[in-house]
Formats: sequence, C-alpha cells, structure tokens
Amino acid sequence: MSIPPGFRQLTEATGFAAANGPWFEKVEGGRAIRGFLPGPQHANALGIVHGGMLAAFLDSAMGTAVFHTLQRRAVTLRLSLDYLGPGRIGDWLQAEGEVMGHDEHMAQVRGRLYGPRHDVLAGLGAFALLNRHRTPKTRS
Amino acid sequence: MPDSTISIDNPPEGFRRIDFDRGRPDPTFNSHIGNLYAKRGPKGTRDEFVMGFRVHRHMCNPAGGLHGGMMMTVADLVGTMGGSALVGLRKFLPTVSMTFDFVAPAKVGDWVEGRAEVVRQTRTLLFTTIYLTVDEDKILRASSIAKIPSGDGLAFGKARLDRGAEMAAERPPS
Repeated sequence: MSIPPGFRQLTEATGFAAANGPWFEKVEGGRAIRGFLPGPQHANALGIVHGGMLAAFLDSAMGTAVFHTLQRRAVTLRLSLDYLGPGRIGDWLQAEGEVMGHDEHMAQVRGRLYGPRHDVLAGLGAFALLNRHRTPKTRS
Repeated sequence: MPDSTISIDNPPEGFRRIDFDRGRPDPTFNSHIGNLYAKRGPKGTRDEFVMGFRVHRHMCNPAGGLHGGMMMTVADLVGTMGGSALVGLRKFLPTVSMTFDFVAPAKVGDWVEGRAEVVRQTRTLLFTTIYLTVDEDKILRASSIAKIPSGDGLAFGKARLDRGAEMAAERPPS
C-alpha cells in the first residue's frame, strides 16, 4: 500500500504525533485532509485500530480544519465521538473536519474518519480559538 | 517497552505495569504509547480500579503538554478495561461512543491517574463516567458507552495485571 498522491508527510510532528505517525496531509481548495497507514503498533487486542489512536487522529484533523478555515490556532475543549465501524490495519485511513460555526473565541467542528470501505468514526467538537498574536505552535 | 523504564516512571506504591502483549512479537498500541500501570483496591472504594502513567515527552503535543490523544486513549481504556473489572466482566468491551472534556493540561513528569464510575449496566451496554486526575486536580472528564458482547466474548486481550488484580477480577459479580 502506497501513500495516495497529493499527501505530504507532516515531518514537523513531535511528541505523541511523531511517536504514532507518520501522519500525512493534503490541502485542496482550502480544505485539509489527513491520512495515515495503520500498522501493528496502532492495533488493539482485537487486531483492529485502537479507538484511542482513531480519536487522536480525528482530533488532529478537526483542529487542522479550524486552522485552514479560520486561520486561527485552536485547542480542543470538548470532543464527542461515535465509533461506526472497525479501522483495519493496512488500510489507508483519512480524516477531515468541517467548521460548522464559530465566534471570536470558539469554533464548532464536525469530523469524519473513514477507510476505503466505510466510515469508521464520527466526531463533533468544540474548539477554543487562540489569540491571533499568540506565538503559533505547530499543531499535530 | 522494556521493564528498565519502570524506574524512570517511578510509579506510586501499589501500581503494577500492565503487560498488554504477553507473548506477542510486536507491541500493540497500548504498549506502544508507553508504560501503563494499574492498581486494585477494595471493592466498592474509589480505588477499586485505578490506571496510572507518568507523562513523558513522547506523549506530549508540540506545546509541551500531555497530548489529547494520549488522554483519550487512557480514558477509553479506563472505561472498557476498568469498567469491565468494576462490574465483574472479563471480556473485551468495544467502545461505542465517548465524549471528552479537556478541562486542564498536564505536563512532563506528572503522574496521571484514571478512575471509572459505573453509571448503568444493561444486558448489552455499559455506561461509565471517567476522570483523569493529577494529584487532586481533574484534567479530563469523559463519558463512555461500551458494548457488552453476548456470550463469552473475548477476554481482555492478553493484558495481565499483577496476580492480586487478576484474582480480584475473577471474583463473580456481586
């Protein structure tokens, strides 16, 4: 399985994202899509992708959607997740977010994580927008 | 992760490392993210099941705080593994739905603990509330719905707590 065209590896990732990557991103018309290829290190006891890994990845894609839509860095305040189907090891998984509403301080985001065959995880999140003048920190 | 890292984690009294991958050649996610520990206390007490871990750099975000993904992973485990232990089930409970409120950050060196409270158990579902804390401060509030598989289901992987914890988990539900 190779990485689909247009995706660039997020080489600036550090810490948790780097330890559980590599993660990839494609930006198309102001819309960011993230992808990763799950391996054995992402599996749970059932041999499918761990729910915590899926949660972390969708969260990152939803935060990125805020940045690409509003040009603001954000931190997650609340995230609500529904597990729809298993993520398979070796399947390319993608996640993306859509900003549904926002004001000066908060953004409401809908997120979706899916594989080649079906949706895996649905998310709804509230993100706190950081001040524009604050030193931007890479989000991953 | 090798046992030599336990000294770096310096877990508080009573915590034993959970071996999620007994006999498995490749570490799965629960081992890959770092050492996780569990402590079992008397039935019905706040400490009946406690999960814990020491925050290291590889669990953090670029800002240097504990990554939300790590918090969510541990909360998920506390809801399923801890929740099943609290109600006396020895099955793998797949997570159906979770909601997380990120109420405070944690930093490198902090010892984080996770506890579950069973809200309701039905024939097919287990509802729990989970808190992650550093000392007495809550850092994450989570709400979980897990599925209880019919039949024997799968035992919780190959995860193994210390012997006392296993014996406690084997007690029939009261």
